[in-house]
Amino acid sequence: MIKLVLSSVRHNLARYLATLVAISAGVGFFVAVSVISDGIISSLDGNVDAQYGTVDVAVVPDDTTTVASTGAEPEPLKLPQSSVDHLLALPGVDGGAGILTAPVAFQAEDGKPFATSATGRLWITDKELNPLTVTEGKAPTSSGQIAVDQGTADDQHLKVGESLTLLTLAGKQKVTLVGITDFGDSDALDTGGTVSISEPDAFTWLNNGQQEYASFYLRGNDPSTLVAEAGQVIPDGFNVQTGNEFRQDQRDANGSFAQGLKKALQAFAVLALLVGGFVIYNTFSVIVAQRLRELAVLAAIGATPRQLKRSLRLEGVVLGIVGSVLGVITGYLLTLALEGVLKATGNTLPGGLSVSTSTIVSGLLLGTIITVLSVMIPARRAGRTEPIEAMREAATESASLGRTRGIVCVVLGVLGLVAMLAGSSLAVIGLGVVAFVASVFVGAPYLARGGARAARPLLERFGIEGRLAVDNSVRSPKRTATTANALLIGVFLVTLVAVAGASIRDFAIQQVNDLQSADYVVVSTGGTIDPAFVAKLRDVKDVNEVVAFRREPVTIDSKASIASAGDVAQMAKIASIKAENGSLADLTTGTIAVLDTGEGKVPAVGSTVTVKDSRGKDVQLRVVAVLAPTQDTGQTGSIIDEHTFDSLVGDVAPTVAFVDIASGAQGSTKDAIQNLADLRPDITAQEGNAVGKLIRSVFDFLIKAVTGLLLMSVVIALIGIINTMSLSILERRRELGLLRIIGMTDKRVRRMVTLESVLISLLGTLGGMLTGLVVSLLLVLSFNRLSQATITPSIPWVELIVILVLGVLLGVLAALLPARRSTRMEVLDAIAAS
Amino acid sequence: MTTSTEAPTRSAAARAVDARKTYGTGEAAVHALAGVTVDFPEHEFTAIMGPSGSGKSTLMQCVAGLDRLTSGSAYIGDTDISKLNKTQLTLLRRDRLGFIFQQYNLIPSLTAKENILLPLTLAGTKANDAWFDEIMRTVGLQDRLGNLPSQLSGGQQQRVAVARALVPKPDIIFADEPTGALDSRTGIEILTFMRRAVDDTGQTIVMVTHDPHAASYANRVLFLADGQIVDSMDDPTADRVLDRMKQFEG
Repeated sequence: MIKLVLSSVRHNLARYLATLVAISAGVGFFVAVSVISDGIISSLDGNVDAQYGTVDVAVVPDDTTTVASTGAEPEPLKLPQSSVDHLLALPGVDGGAGILTAPVAFQAEDGKPFATSATGRLWITDKELNPLTVTEGKAPTSSGQIAVDQGTADDQHLKVGESLTLLTLAGKQKVTLVGITDFGDSDALDTGGTVSISEPDAFTWLNNGQQEYASFYLRGNDPSTLVAEAGQVIPDGFNVQTGNEFRQDQRDANGSFAQGLKKALQAFAVLALLVGGFVIYNTFSVIVAQRLRELAVLAAIGATPRQLKRSLRLEGVVLGIVGSVLGVITGYLLTLALEGVLKATGNTLPGGLSVSTSTIVSGLLLGTIITVLSVMIPARRAGRTEPIEAMREAATESASLGRTRGIVCVVLGVLGLVAMLAGSSLAVIGLGVVAFVASVFVGAPYLARGGARAARPLLERFGIEGRLAVDNSVRSPKRTATTANALLIGVFLVTLVAVAGASIRDFAIQQVNDLQSADYVVVSTGGTIDPAFVAKLRDVKDVNEVVAFRREPVTIDSKASIASAGDVAQMAKIASIKAENGSLADLTTGTIAVLDTGEGKVPAVGSTVTVKDSRGKDVQLRVVAVLAPTQDTGQTGSIIDEHTFDSLVGDVAPTVAFVDIASGAQGSTKDAIQNLADLRPDITAQEGNAVGKLIRSVFDFLIKAVTGLLLMSVVIALIGIINTMSLSILERRRELGLLRIIGMTDKRVRRMVTLESVLISLLGTLGGMLTGLVVSLLLVLSFNRLSQATITPSIPWVELIVILVLGVLLGVLAALLPARRSTRMEVLDAIAAS
Repeated sequence: MTTSTEAPTRSAAARAVDARKTYGTGEAAVHALAGVTVDFPEHEFTAIMGPSGSGKSTLMQCVAGLDRLTSGSAYIGDTDISKLNKTQLTLLRRDRLGFIFQQYNLIPSLTAKENILLPLTLAGTKANDAWFDEIMRTVGLQDRLGNLPSQLSGGQQQRVAVARALVPKPDIIFADEPTGALDSRTGIEILTFMRRAVDDTGQTIVMVTHDPHAASYANRVLFLADGQIVDSMDDPTADRVLDRMKQFEG
């Protein structure tokens, strides 16, 4: 049998090449998507275990209640040394580590800053809790000593023993680099580089000399008892967690976003496989159909149906394995190419490229299994065919469509529509989408037949070749449909992402745009916005006004929040600070304007709230106004009067400023303000409508990235069309030869092939686009129904038209090779005696 | 008269002059046609016979513009087809030649009528209705015109093919084993139609066959062996042709 298989492969080399291309393209697509998503997923998951693996108890600040949609991240509460002393004194504590970070940068001898996004970290002396290990030199233990991560050392060519200038919140510091650190498998703990600072310097350089920690971790034998005890000694606004809870929180924090994206990427890899599967199945069914005659001869000379099937299955296994191996290689090359393209445009793939064993194994297995299945279905048909029937005429797929298919299609379609229209949960709606798309797939042969017939009047304008192109695609609607389906699924997803993505993006942007805001928000993390810096800002051309204000993390009625104080009238003039209840004018000593965060109960005007700062000082304040949630009040939090602030927090300097600039000068002022901020590591300048821009750019990136990946599936579909057309031409070589004998010129033969190819790709494109439109509009409707949102579906017409045009071009492109082939065959083949 | 080196006469619908067709080179060279010069007179039914490998199909294909000669020339009327390019050849076949083959010669997705009219459709012209009806009557396909080839018997399919060759009134029809795949009764029907086309409408037909009975319908039989014309026979009968053929085998 093996001999037979090998000889079959030898004699049908062109066809097997087509199959191999199909299999390796399908598997390659799957592997590429898997490798890329693995990288993205692992980069999103982070190294939670490496960083916090030994933490038994964690004391962390509560999430600050703020306007969730604005993205404002004011400074959280810090844990004072006094609380830490209590914690360390608890029985059963084996060790502790305080976390304190602040932005730092280096200054070169020529005065230019470098490594400007580095993070300064208090060096943790507890060896077990410290996630960093010293790989060269020693740990920074005494004043003036620092260590940097391997990546920064390599990038900036820093050597152990070198003297450097470090820019900190407390100004320039002369330091000596004493060690190089490593974090697990990666170089740095922080994306911009990690600078470890010794305990004697850390509080001065990173926290204005205050002995405070952002969070504190403990080691101990009995975490649950420790948690209970620690809860007794920590101030309001902090939370005690066991190590496991804490690690889970960290993972979750790394992403509800990451989780969603992870699922999407995995779904995408499955999809990749599906598209690849279509191409493989289709190619094989065409090939087996063509070989029915050969199989019939074998059957006639005594091969049993079982032997025939076994021979075909063996063929499938051989092809599947060879194709899958090639596919894994192709997939890896594809990711290399993608990385190259990204590098050329100054981007990097998140997470880098690593091919996991599971990716390789699943790629090989899935490719082989799909190939074997793709062979077995047509092989069963081959087994059923009477030998004499098959020998008589090159038997091809039947044009008839079973009744079961129709019923399944209608039932799935109705179920899907109902689930999408009336589904009460995302799961039901999701299943509805799957059912609806499945119905389109099952019903695709009807669509192919109906669509081709509908296109007949148009194509007949091209003459008899148009007519024959339609006839040929109708002749085998199942084959036309499977070919078109590969394209359909790609276009469906592109449309879905374009329409649903654009709708949600526009909705989100509009929400943000409703919130008018200051042009820039300048924030000092750890430092202050001193009058000198305000003056520098005012000197920037086109800056109209700079209003600095003081801000402090506090708890209001035991809920973590922030409070600000400043010239409220000035602030309200250039930023969107409005009272929804009460009046800001009533703000005097002993009163507060509380922020409506949109969640929880807002204290009523006239009621009294308890405001506590991080050192435990508290004050009772009467509510005179409730602030409407805007992007700017997201920055200020609740507002109190200057005297109240003085008595609560002390006479500290402002840390935040709103900047107002002449209208239309956003672009020209950006660099100047950014340059000022760069010289001060503690200061960041954010464009006021940055959130809107951020949302737009995040969505645009996601839509583009996903569309880019989907376009790969379209390329695979292109290969599918080329394969089907080439095989169909081989199959019809007699017919084509005859047409040429009785007078069809080569040009018209090529046009006929092209028209058929365009027809198939148009069927796929239009089918996919319509399915995508229906599903995404229904999705937006159900989303509105479930969440009371009012997303208006935005249909990106231009993109849809571009997709349609691309579909036609794809058809023309896919026909190039087969069309050339069609006229290269000898006309005499048509009359050769079989 | 069948072999001639004289200048073309008006009465030849097609001619070959010192036609040679060689496959391969050097010692492996096979001469399918080893210098054939022949006229196919107008309004006549000529049969080409010969054992397998004698070159009879090659001769027909080269004269009909389906294949090219290695050397020598072939004419359709006064047109030297060895000087035509591929497209010109295709158009010549479309406008001036008709073909009937052993099998596989209908387009499966077109109805009988559409198949018959295909050469005219390709040329962008219409059939003369009276002429079309007359041919339909002759071949007896009136009530089968709307059927697809798969719904027709082998004989009916071949009648469609004959009608397709006849309707455009080509200068010459080439038939390659037209009865090879048919039972003898249907074969006789087809040959009768062809004979009548020559007698009644002055059609010119060149037919390649290995069947002496089929050859007996021709005005004249040419015998080919080893790429050369070795004999000819006017007003053949099946028995005489059979006797002549036996000499090749002997």
